[in-house]
Amino acid sequence: MFKKILIANRGEIALRVMWACKELGIKTVAVYAEPDRHSLHVRFADQAVCIGPARSVESYLNIPAIISAAEITGADAIHPGYGFLSESSYLAEICEACAIKFIGPGPQAIRLMGDKSRAKKAMIKAGVPVIPGSPGVVEDEDKATRLARETGFPVILKASAGGGGRGMRIIREASEVAPAFRAAQAEAAAAFGVPDVYIEKYVEAPRHIEIQVMADTKGNVVHLGERECSIQRRHQKLIEECPSPVVTEKLRRRMGRAAVEAAAAVQYVNAGTIEFLVDEQSNYYFMEMNTRIQVEHGVTELVTGRDLVKEQIHIAAGEPLSFAQKDLGFVGHAIECRINAEDPVTFIPSPGTIRSFNVPGGPGVRVDTAAHEGCEISPYYDSLVAKLMVHGRDRREAIARMRRCLDVMVVEGIRTTVPLHRRIMDDPDFLAGRLSTKFMERFQVARKAPVAGP
Amino acid sequence: MNLKELKEILQILDEKEITEFELEEQGIKLRIRKTPPVSLSPGPLAPVAPPPAPGVPVLVGSGPQPRPAESPATPGSAPTPPLPAEEAGLILVKSPIVGTFYRSPDPAAPPFVNVGDRVRVGQVLCIIEAMKLMNEIEAEVSGEIVKIHQETGQPVQYGEPLFAIRPER
Repeated sequence: MFKKILIANRGEIALRVMWACKELGIKTVAVYAEPDRHSLHVRFADQAVCIGPARSVESYLNIPAIISAAEITGADAIHPGYGFLSESSYLAEICEACAIKFIGPGPQAIRLMGDKSRAKKAMIKAGVPVIPGSPGVVEDEDKATRLARETGFPVILKASAGGGGRGMRIIREASEVAPAFRAAQAEAAAAFGVPDVYIEKYVEAPRHIEIQVMADTKGNVVHLGERECSIQRRHQKLIEECPSPVVTEKLRRRMGRAAVEAAAAVQYVNAGTIEFLVDEQSNYYFMEMNTRIQVEHGVTELVTGRDLVKEQIHIAAGEPLSFAQKDLGFVGHAIECRINAEDPVTFIPSPGTIRSFNVPGGPGVRVDTAAHEGCEISPYYDSLVAKLMVHGRDRREAIARMRRCLDVMVVEGIRTTVPLHRRIMDDPDFLAGRLSTKFMERFQVARKAPVAGP
Repeated sequence: MNLKELKEILQILDEKEITEFELEEQGIKLRIRKTPPVSLSPGPLAPVAPPPAPGVPVLVGSGPQPRPAESPATPGSAPTPPLPAEEAGLILVKSPIVGTFYRSPDPAAPPFVNVGDRVRVGQVLCIIEAMKLMNEIEAEVSGEIVKIHQETGQPVQYGEPLFAIRPER
């Protein structure tokens, strides 16, 4: 087992990893950029090393500084947390070269899953359902029409070199294909310099449901159920829950098996998450795999009673998983609200000093945070202030619990999304579990519309 | 009383920071009470436990190989020396990287510089070893070495003071 782990991150996840280390009797090294000098993760670590100035690229993304910090403190492993270098195959490789254990998968798995088209090919090979569509670039209108028919309408035309929603067109019937194809090609050429387009099935208002997997070095791969993460704004998750209100036991088994097969197919080791798009008929399609521990891992921990970060450390130390698939149970319902330092209406970032901080407690409440009264939420890093999680016997209790927590969650001195979450906890669609990635769009519009009645 | 008069009264109250005001005249009774800025908290808060006293975070323990000794970072403890104050007129050369400090190019050689030496811009002052690479740290000013803050073999972090130089005019 490791004697000392360097945590290459900051904020609440640095603390989260630190808690697991402390419980396992492992010494901790914190690294920090200058503005984080007085952070909790720095203060509670056994050792702390300043690795650079404020800018992430010079500090939390600075591989030489981090490796050097591991060397001078004698750390034998590095936990990268999430974000920052957690999906850097380069860091994973350098760790290997320097005989420091990277707590996560190997560099090849990181690289493979980081390349969307290679990942998709690997999944097809593993028999995991992927979003149907053209195998590659579509050459002409006729092929486009044929493929669109085969795939089944509606389809979406996407620019290969594109992103950010540009060069995308939704097509709902055969007659629309040819003109849309010509226009998409022209747009792609103009915006990205390359007219290549491909076709994918368009899943209307899908749910984003992801499966947590864990794999050790002995060939054991398990899934820990799903998380529903459909409530997002600009692809940033706001609220997550476990289990999903629409995933039946049967669907969980099927998706779980698909996720386990996906992980095994790429010889995955350690914690990972397979993201699926799920349509209204409960068809699920592989979207991508995240090769790290995730922000929302806590809701899975609350429902399964397992400590995922400790498991990561055990796996990295060469030990087998502490449980088998059949040992895993799912009890109750958990919800997480990400409390961000942003205006709850405009989402404009609101950095500053927290003057007053009250964190809810009581039964079924877990708050992961590095914030405290007097702390500085800096503009240099992400805006996450706290992860407010609740666990209840069922979804109804979890929601009631979340409401009372949000009512007493006090963060003054900065603006936070607490009021936004509180409103969502009263939203009829949310209460009914009618979720999809279109939820926030609809919610924002409804909020701005003049209120007809109570 | 008309609206204009009322506005004037309110303005005066504001300027004078008066919180309560009562006026009775000609059949009008006016009472104005200003409450202090409303806090968003729902009620009196239990005082939050103060965070650990801010202190200089524990620097990496001193000592060369095999492993540096650790200093536990219990809140409030400050086993490390405080950062040297920049005396008037002195330039503090701080480490730009994380690594191990060496005063000489190799163990057998004499140090690059000693206290009292005059140095020129660009002159190598020390080596900081990081990931098996020897990084030469150069002087950014010309002047006299007044103090050397580290010993050979000591681990240094970003921003750690290395040398104090009295710059020449």
